[in-house]
Amino acid sequence: MDTLSRRKFLKLTSGVLAVGATSTILSLDQIAQAAFNRPLASGTPILVVVTLYGGNDGLNTLIPYKDPIYFSSRPDISYKAESMLPLDGELALNPNMGGIKGLWDQKKVAIVRGVGYPKPDHSHFSSMAKWQTASPDRAINSGWLGRWLDSQAEDPMLAISLGSVLPPMLAGTKVSGSALPLGGLVVPKGGLATECIQLSKATRSDSKLMAAAATSMRNLFSITASVEPILKLPAPPTPDLPTVNGGNAGGDNNLSQQLDVVAKLITAGSPTKVWSVSLGGFDTHANEANAQAQLLGVVSTSLTRFMSQLKSTTRHNDVTVMIYSEFGRRVKGNASQGTDHGTSAPMFLIGEQIKGGYYGDQPSISKLVDGDLAVTTDFRDVYATVLESVLKSPPEQTLGKWSGRTNFLTPA
Amino acid sequence: MNAKRLETSRLFHRFGFGPRPGEYALAMKDGIVATRNKFLTVPAIDIGASKVVDPVITDLGPRPAPNSAEVVPFAIAMRTQTQDLILWWLDRMVLSDHGLTERLTWFWHGHWATSIQKIEYALPMFIQNKTLRTNALGNFTTMTKAMLNDGALQFWLDGQDSTSKAPNENLGRELMELFVLGVNHYTEDDVKAIARALTGYQVVRSNGLVSINQNRRDANPVTLLGKTGAFSSDSLAEFLSARDDCAAFITQRLWFRFISSTEDMPASFSVKGAFANRNISSAVNAMANDQSMSDERYSLVKSPVEWFVSACRALELVPSQLVKAGQLTNFLDNLGQDPFSPPNVGGWPSGGAWLSSATAQYRLAFAAWLIKQSSLNGLNNLPIASRLLKSADWLGVPQWGARTEAALRSSLDNSAQFALLALCSPEYIVSA
Repeated sequence: MDTLSRRKFLKLTSGVLAVGATSTILSLDQIAQAAFNRPLASGTPILVVVTLYGGNDGLNTLIPYKDPIYFSSRPDISYKAESMLPLDGELALNPNMGGIKGLWDQKKVAIVRGVGYPKPDHSHFSSMAKWQTASPDRAINSGWLGRWLDSQAEDPMLAISLGSVLPPMLAGTKVSGSALPLGGLVVPKGGLATECIQLSKATRSDSKLMAAAATSMRNLFSITASVEPILKLPAPPTPDLPTVNGGNAGGDNNLSQQLDVVAKLITAGSPTKVWSVSLGGFDTHANEANAQAQLLGVVSTSLTRFMSQLKSTTRHNDVTVMIYSEFGRRVKGNASQGTDHGTSAPMFLIGEQIKGGYYGDQPSISKLVDGDLAVTTDFRDVYATVLESVLKSPPEQTLGKWSGRTNFLTPA
Repeated sequence: MNAKRLETSRLFHRFGFGPRPGEYALAMKDGIVATRNKFLTVPAIDIGASKVVDPVITDLGPRPAPNSAEVVPFAIAMRTQTQDLILWWLDRMVLSDHGLTERLTWFWHGHWATSIQKIEYALPMFIQNKTLRTNALGNFTTMTKAMLNDGALQFWLDGQDSTSKAPNENLGRELMELFVLGVNHYTEDDVKAIARALTGYQVVRSNGLVSINQNRRDANPVTLLGKTGAFSSDSLAEFLSARDDCAAFITQRLWFRFISSTEDMPASFSVKGAFANRNISSAVNAMANDQSMSDERYSLVKSPVEWFVSACRALELVPSQLVKAGQLTNFLDNLGQDPFSPPNVGGWPSGGAWLSSATAQYRLAFAAWLIKQSSLNGLNNLPIASRLLKSADWLGVPQWGARTEAALRSSLDNSAQFALLALCSPEYIVSA
């Protein structure tokens, strides 16, 4: 499986690069060659970050289903106890998260409870910026994984975000991750390609932004050469999922499409250690129960499908998925069958290397802080653990001195 | 870099939507003072803009029952009206003789960022767009009052669902954070208070009509930012916009969108004082005269719509006449910027976010598609011998870098390729 797709990768890639072999293209060639000449070493850990935009309601994701305060706080938007998926005597998953419940039963899901940061900010933008920069105390311009990229040898394949706009998380101070739109990339060929590559060279008179514009075009050529052939392959099979009408269930939404591309590229040995995918729509101020359940259903089925796809590859032991949102929501519902912006919420980590179970304390819904759930775990504990134990990099480069850890990985 | 060329280029690309063929060279002859005055003086009648006919956008009423015979014509009308609305605005941006009004309307659209994706009907968005244009260079307090009574904004931020029994904080919070005061210039208690003051609004979704239902309204006094009283939307707009934080915040937003989204605003930036009376026009004048306008550090990435509109002006194309409209909106969507559909209430991204390998690809394809439909007169009229140099004037670029010159020089005999490279060059994607 791996071998076959890598051969296709090699063949088609060199085909694309044969156009006008000048020295300029050679250096691009080198980048693309590196992408497959040194495929990610077998056993190299891979991080897949799933961002849920809008503020996912943590209390309707991981539900204190025995607590009468939960039901009385949210008369219009609480689920029926019998429809939920109990994990133990206190907490249950949202009724639509059957797939993740299955992975939990296999001990592959860590749920970090009550995650947030000090002095919670209720603004989507500020809060998401705090999560993505990992700097809740002061505003900075670089993302936490962007700073990690700064510490690595420059390679446009190292961190890739699906979609055409790059999330701030992947913006470093020196280098940034690359963006890959769902439909893949199509680049000019022939003489025009030569001139476009000329146009993407750095020049001394460039301002920082012009240099970034030139880099974006340069990356277009190097990444396209590497990934385009892979994107044309069929999605990897899902050996342990039931098939529906000849295909696997859950593959028709945007998150699934993003994860399909990630699965294809991981299978082909793309030298990418960090992937970023996302799903929006969690800002459920109104008519929440249906909307959120539907979205969580998408998250659950997409990730279950993805984890299953990885089983048909040699990489399934290497991948760790991390799911987060910018904040949870207010405990008490509003008049619109929805909830307003809140504070802490659970994070999910999924993978073969994960030591399944709960981490962090469940915030009490009777002892609220200004009407909101308390923060019991700082997200930097989770990031530090991800950096140290998944990406095998010293967290200090990215987070500064940070001693907190959440030990959700099976000891090596 | 030549300071006069730089400042002239910035006037064209930041206070308008780029030059039409010949305009930049003419402005260089007129000199910076005359050019600046021309950009800042809104003419009584804009002949170019007046040729753009308002779209026919009607109240389509409630959505018909599922599976009824009316569903299909309704859906077609919804789609057509939205597309007509987008094309109408893009046409105004491209065809206006004087760019400042549309440019500011575009800025305010990103400021009071409302998306049609939620309300779905074109009519409330059309009304909002007219409100933004009417107030674009007027008084910010008046604009805030108008926006609090704007159906599209109210609906977008759940104002119609906010009642005295359970106030919805969405509108109140964003009003302070994103529209008037800036983040952290209020407490969480202020958010709860303003939410109560803003209860009771009702919106007719299909036409944006706003009313207040006294039964749903919390008319009790609240304490907001230290002041206790029963606020109306007007007194709320007056109270918030009179605060010093408002002047600081709007100044910051103008800096961010017109001068630099990547560099910090220096203390010398002279806009806040000019905005003392909340007159937007004075603030914009101060900004155009500020010393930062000729400072090389402050380059700015053109957003996809800004890039597209300026390309249309250089290529002498009219958006609504492009073949086909569906493809045009697809390109804008791929680049991540559909007018009337900002990604969230924070408005459009900026700077490096528009510069991914993916957008590089779409921009190339988009430019090629536009060039195919243009006579390229602006370029073809330049003699080959001086084409390289003069093409910078054609597009209003201060100067080509060595790298771009090399690419353009090898395309001198191929004007379509020359135009494609020029429009996708770092010097054109970025306003120097």
